[in-house]
This record gives sequence, C-alpha cells and structure tokens, in this order.
Amino acid sequence: MDRPAGPWRIAGGIVAAAIFALPLLWMLGTSFKPPGEYAAASASLWPRHPTLMHYEAVAGARVGRAVVNSLIVTAGTTLLALLAAYPAAYALARLRFPRRLDLVFLVFVLLVKLTPPIVLAVPLYQVLRVLGLLDTLPGLVLAQQIYALPFAIWMLLGFIRDVPVALEEAARMDGARLPRILWEILVPVTAAGLAATAVLVAIAAWNEFLFAFLFLQSPSNFTLPTFIATRINEDETLWGQLSAIGVLASLPVLALIGVVHRALSRGFAGGTTG
Amino acid sequence: MRILRRLCLVAPMLALAALPARAEERLVIAGRDAAFGDALSRMVEAYQARNPGLRIERLELPGGALYERIAVNARERTKALDVLMLDDIWAPEFMANGWLANLDTLGGVPGDFVGPADAVSRGANGQRLAAPMVGNVAMFAYRADLFRAAGLPAPTTFTAVAAAARTLRERDPGITPIAFRGVRGNPIVTGFMPVLGAFGGAVVDAQGRAALDSPAALAALEYFLSLKPYLPRGVETWNATEVREAMEQGRVAIALEFWPGWAGTLDDAARSRVVGQVTLVAPPGERSGPAPMLGAWLLGVAADSPNAARAADFIRFVVSAENQKRIALETGNPPTLAALYNDPELVQRFRWYPAQLAALQAAQPRPRITQWNRVEAILGEQLQIALVGQATPAEALREANRQIQRALAR
Amino acid sequence: MRASTRLLVVLLAPSLVLFALLTLYPLLRVLLLAFTDSDYGFEGADFVGLANFAELAEGRGFRRAAWNTVAFAVMATVGEVVLGLALALLLDRAFRGRRLVTLVLLAPYVLSTIVVGAIWRAWFHYDVGFLNTALRGVGLPGVPWLFDPVLALPSIALADLWQATPFCFLILYAGLRSIPPDLHEAARIDGAGTWARFRDITLPLLWPYILIAGLMRTLDSFKLFDKVYAMTGGGPGNATETLSMFVQRLAFRFFDIGMASAAALVMVVVAGGLAAIYARQLMRPPA
Repeated sequence: MDRPAGPWRIAGGIVAAAIFALPLLWMLGTSFKPPGEYAAASASLWPRHPTLMHYEAVAGARVGRAVVNSLIVTAGTTLLALLAAYPAAYALARLRFPRRLDLVFLVFVLLVKLTPPIVLAVPLYQVLRVLGLLDTLPGLVLAQQIYALPFAIWMLLGFIRDVPVALEEAARMDGARLPRILWEILVPVTAAGLAATAVLVAIAAWNEFLFAFLFLQSPSNFTLPTFIATRINEDETLWGQLSAIGVLASLPVLALIGVVHRALSRGFAGGTTG
Repeated sequence: MRILRRLCLVAPMLALAALPARAEERLVIAGRDAAFGDALSRMVEAYQARNPGLRIERLELPGGALYERIAVNARERTKALDVLMLDDIWAPEFMANGWLANLDTLGGVPGDFVGPADAVSRGANGQRLAAPMVGNVAMFAYRADLFRAAGLPAPTTFTAVAAAARTLRERDPGITPIAFRGVRGNPIVTGFMPVLGAFGGAVVDAQGRAALDSPAALAALEYFLSLKPYLPRGVETWNATEVREAMEQGRVAIALEFWPGWAGTLDDAARSRVVGQVTLVAPPGERSGPAPMLGAWLLGVAADSPNAARAADFIRFVVSAENQKRIALETGNPPTLAALYNDPELVQRFRWYPAQLAALQAAQPRPRITQWNRVEAILGEQLQIALVGQATPAEALREANRQIQRALAR
Repeated sequence: MRASTRLLVVLLAPSLVLFALLTLYPLLRVLLLAFTDSDYGFEGADFVGLANFAELAEGRGFRRAAWNTVAFAVMATVGEVVLGLALALLLDRAFRGRRLVTLVLLAPYVLSTIVVGAIWRAWFHYDVGFLNTALRGVGLPGVPWLFDPVLALPSIALADLWQATPFCFLILYAGLRSIPPDLHEAARIDGAGTWARFRDITLPLLWPYILIAGLMRTLDSFKLFDKVYAMTGGGPGNATETLSMFVQRLAFRFFDIGMASAAALVMVVVAGGLAAIYARQLMRPPA
C-alpha cells in the first residue's frame, strides 16, 4: 500500500539503523577484546585479537547461577501474572459490573502500573520481610506482579474482547461450566495473544533491576541485572567481562524482538523498560 | 498453547534444580572490591583449598554499596551474610546496634595488633567484635625526584604543598601537580579530612555537635578548592584506581592522601615508571600539626550468621601472621600485626614500613559516632557540589552542617 | 450475594489479593509514615505532622532531585518523541529490508536498563571511552560527558534517547499507518505542499499517538533510577540525583523511613496526576 521509498530515504533508514546498532556492536566486540585493546582508547569496534577470556572469567564467577535465577524469576513472574490476569481480564471483558466498577478497576490498574517502583519498594520491603520472602526468588516474583499484573490485564483484555461471544454461548448451551469454557475454548482461541503477553511480561521480568537490587541479598540469589550491577565497580577495567555478561543477558530478549515489534505496532503502549 | 503447558512443566523443575544448593555448608563473605577485594579473594581461595566441602560465596562491592548491603541485612536479620568486611568508621554503629557477634565467645582471635587498629575492633567493654585485616593509615605521597629537581623542600604545610604545585606546573605543564579521590561520598571526604584537621576544623565537635560552620572549616574548604587548577581533569570521577595508576605512571606529582595499601606496586618495575622515586610521609599540617588518619578495614561475624563458628575460623585464618604476610607480599595491603612491620623480608620489599608503623601507631580514628555513614554521605555530597562549582564553599558548608545537625539529632 | 456478583469476585480475587498486598497496603504505609519520624516501621514511629515535608522543602537535596527529574523527563521525552517522529516519517515508505531496519532500530528498547547503563558508562569514559576516542580521532577535544555538572544529566538523557526512541518511533509509525492515504492524495490534488500536508493532515491525526507516546515516556522518565545508578551514582555533586535515587538513599542507606515516605508521597501525587491525564487520553473513545 505504501508508496515506494526513494534512494535517500532508504539510505537514511539504513544509516539510522546503523547508528542505533553501534553501541550493541561495540558491546559484542568488547566482549571478545583482550584488556589491552579496550584500555588503549581505540575506536575500532572489532577486536584485532579475539579472545574468549571474558566469557571464561564470567563463567568462573558463577554467572550460571544468575542465569538460572533470572530464568526462575522470569518464568515464575510470567506464569503468576497470566494466571491471575486471565480471569480478571475475562471478567472485565464479559461480565457486567455494578456502578461502572469495571472502569474504576481499570483506571486503578493503570495508575498502579504508572506508580514509580521506588515508592512501593520501601513499604514492600516490610511486607516481604513479614511474609518471610525477603532475599528469596518467590519474593521477587511476587514483587514483580506490581507491574506484570496490570500490564497483563490490559493486554489480555484487548485479546479477549476480540473473541466473538457466540463461541462461548454455544459451549454454555451444552452445559459447560466457566472454568472449562475458559480453558478449553477461550484460552486456545486467544493463544497468540497469551503468547505475546507472556513474552512481553517475560522480557520486563528478565530485565527488572530495582526490586531485585533491593530485595535480593545473597549473591547466590542474584539475577543477571543485579549480577551485572555488582560488576560496575571502582575497577573500570572489567569492561570485557561486563560486556560478556551484557551479551549473555541481551541475547534472549533480542531473540524475541519480533514479538515486541508486533505488539507495539498494534498500539499496545508497552512498558518493558523502567 | 503447547508452549504454555511446557512452561508450566519447566518452571517447577528449574525451581527444584535451585534447591539442593541449600543443603551444603555455605559461607557468605561480604567484602570490598578492588585491591582489598583482591586480598580477600586470595584468602578465600586458600581457605577453599583447605575446606573443599565448603561453598564460599563472595559479595564484592565498592565501599558505599557494601555498607548499604551489610546494614540492610543486619537490620532485618536476614541471615544472608556470615563474614563482614567493614571500614573502621562503621564499627561504632555496627557495635552499638549489636550487628557483630562477639568473637571472644567464638574462640577468640589471637594476635598482637597495632594499637589504634586493635582499639577500633573492640566494643565498649573491650570485647573483641572484629579483627583488623588491613592496617591503613592515610599518608601523603610526593615525587621526591621532581621536588629535588625543582629545588623544593619536603612539604610540611598545606601552604607549601600549594606553592610546590605552582612551581611544578610552571616547570612542566605536562604533569598534573596534585591528585586525590574526588568521587562523592567517602572518597572525597577522606581526601578532605587531613586538610580540615590541619586547619583546625572538625566535622563534629567534642560535644558531638555539627561543627562545619566554623571559620576554620571554611578556610580548609577554600584551600581545598584553591587546588582545583592543579588537579586532573575529571577529578570528580577519580577513585583509588585512578590515583594509584596516575602516581604509578608518573602523571601526578603529589597525592594528598595516599594509602599504604596502594603503595605495594610503586617499586614494582614491571608496573611502575617511578620506582624508588615516590616518598610516603605523614600528611602535612597547617595551623595544627599533622594528624595521620586511621583507615583500617576489619573483619567481623554477622550477629545473625547461621554459620558463626565457621566464619570466625575464616577470620582467624585471614589475620594469622602467615597470611597477613602473604597478603602484604602479594597485594601490598598493609598488615595489622605489629611484628610484621619489622619482618626483614617485608621491610626490604616496602622501604617505608618503619615510617608507616610510626604513623599507624599515632593514627587518629575519624569521629566515632554511630551516624558517621550518613554524616559522611552529606559532607561528601556538599564537598563535591563545592568542587564542581554548584555552590560556594560557605553555602556548601552551611547546608552540610544543617543536614548533619539533623542527622545527629536522630 | 447475586450469582453474577459472586462470579465477579471469584474471577477478580487473585488480582485483588495481589493488588491489596502489593500496592494498596504499601501505599497506605507510605501515606501514614510520611507524617512520622521513623527508622523502621510503625513501631517506634513518632508523629511529627508536616515536619518531614518542611525539611524536604528546606533541603537543597530534594529540590535539586526534583528539578533534575523534571529536567530529565522533559529532555528525554521531547527528544524521543521528535526523533521517533522523524524516524517514523523516514520509514513510512516501502522498501526492501524495511522490516529488518525496523527490528534493528527496536533492539535497544528490549535491553535491560542496567546493560544500557553499563554500555554508555563505557562510551562516555573521558580517557578511553568510545565517544571521546572517536572525537579525538577527528581532531576534536574530548568531552567530559559524565563529570561536568552541566553535561552529566543530558548525557544520561542521551543514553535514554538511544534506548527509548525506538518505542516512540513504533507507536508513531503505527499512528502514521492509520492515516488514510486518500487524505494526502486529495490534498495533493488541491495543490498542498509537503509541509502543508504534514501540518494540516499528518500532525492533527497523529496528535493522539504523540500524546500517548509522550505521556508514556514522561511517566517512565519520572521513575529514572537504573541508568543513573549504573552511570554516575547521582554525581557529580548532585547533578544527576533523581527523586528515585533520593528516596532509595533515604530509605535503604539512612533508614530515614519517615522522610523517605514523605518524598515518596510527593512522587506518588505527581505521578498520579500525570497518570490521570494519561488514563483519560487512553480511555477516550477513538475519534
């Protein structure tokens, strides 16, 4: 449908993409550079003598543990958010609320999502402590619901609204109860939407820093972002290692970039960054 | 859908995989990064080799972040940390709050430690709540060769230091006359303290009140800022690594504060371009005589440590004469056992050890108040604000004093 | 209770429990503790009325942090929306490889803010950083990106620009594609030039999208913590101290929970106001 682009426009697009890709390429290159090369103030992106030493050093520093922790937190956060959000989104899409309470709830959910995390972090610290969940991965999964849940409710609401009501009506005529209708009819129909929601929630959970930084204390519980933060220290010469962990932390989310693209293009005002 | 169902299966399995790690004996050590961290890492490795069944976890952090971690864990009794490495200025707060276990009841720590370093490691009743690991005392470093070439005498007052900086700059515009750690918080405060003391000022007076609104403090800060033309570009971001490397590479002539812990490689020809040319002395005086400042790092056992006996054993291991000597030789971190300063092998390696021991024995600890961490953060911020010109010296001191007064009242 | 109401409660229960525990109760605590002098929680808390707010208003730290936060939000949001709009207009024509270009442009947006902070901290390094090395390579002097009190905050905004412009770009790109091409055609036939068509057709129709993208970015910038933590820690002086950092330090370093809660309350009120505007915009039925 679009009119074709002229050569200047194409060139402009490619240059813009190159500029935006530069810092990422630098990180990739630095992760393979021996220390002498990146300390010597060279503007070359690519290492002259590539080395795996930073990846080896990082592997020795128990990065595997941080990766596993990040995976657990990401999977847990995503699952819990979807499980809690799906019925809520269904109710908002299909049921009649007294006195427009649905609107009140939706606005409230939106306000929650937009609250600065540090505001909630202070009292949340005490909540987690009382629950005995401080310095635990389940505790972090819980804390992450503050942002994962509103986001999931809003996204799923859109997907469920798109499903024709007739589909459920037929099942209800056959005597199916709500849990079965949800699980056997609605969930398969909205599978694509669920997957997109799951991916976006997962990316945000994977990247989350502030709560992890404040609530996780034992090094063995650190997620990747907190692990990275402890490497940004007085010794600035650790850039090689820092880049190597950065690459490890970025590859999974970069692999899912297509999903983000589709979601944002459909107009979901996202919020995967903090 | 299949993806979701699979996720349901995989997540619990991952969670289970994470569990068994809890079963084995584990020792969590919260300590510094950089040079101190290097020393601690060597000890961890050696201790690990002796105790292969033990799982040791390290937390390596810069000073401010380390304090934050330890304090949060101690307040909440999270039982997450076992061995704590602490700056001697945190000790009063930690001890008053009962955050440190009594080492006397955990088998004690043998050793004849240098007086001031030993004193800051003990509680109000003399009980041993920590053991000194690094016996740092703030020294002053200058390039003896450059001073000689310029016909300058050894500087004994800060006025003479400023004059020397001017002369050195005129003789060689390529050299940076003076450096210190300008990072906000602890580093810049530590750089400023000797100046403040020499000008007769204090952060907190004898009655425990904020005392930065004094003419002496203003004179000290004005002097401090008058050095700006002689400081390196971006001194606001300079920390231990930068000062140390600049000195080693011969780019800097004077370091206002230079810690013996950094000096280990000054005479190492493989790293240093100024072998034998840097002199370490007690800091200059001005209105009052020099007052060397203690900067010890201690090891303690967290009061809520689930593994206290093991933690105490690790501390005894680190501060033993054998390992202190090893740390000194391998990393240059200064020992805390008095006898080691007369150890022939060490003295031969570090020619300034006798002077250092004298300074260490005479060293003054910083104000021993439980709110020091907050006071230091306030002063550190205002000093940098003055240094980058966001406020005048008088304004910065007034604001610092006001905030410190409030912090002391809590 | 009617059956439908019961069903509602059952379906909403998990979300409501989580919200009550994780949001409502914490907000209530903030609200109450803001008027106390407390170093922990309610135990040992003394009611001090508005003293905490008076101290906030008097101290330079909070005013500076508030100013920095607002300045950053304006710089970052305006920059990101304008640059995002430029990119969207640039790529609003078909060419082979457009999808690839779009995906590459989007890459920074999905990265962890801590990774972004680490990359730019290295890029901004005065002596050996990539940017200064490149500048010196073409004979220009190095720029004190992160330690000049005037430049430090814009430098962090630059890193944010890199990460969040793609977000604005995609929102506005979607908006552009929702404008019927016939409108442009008709205007062209009427003799309207490129600028006139942009001003009279594109901009008005795109306005809701610009507003959404702008508000979203403003709210996000208002939370700024991670990048500052990774790049400057709030310095030099307090040139890059943000409200989030200010509260974090008060609460988790000084354990001044009363003051931290008071500052947090101010943040909630401001963020709530912005969020209300955003909510109205989002809920408005499409024109």
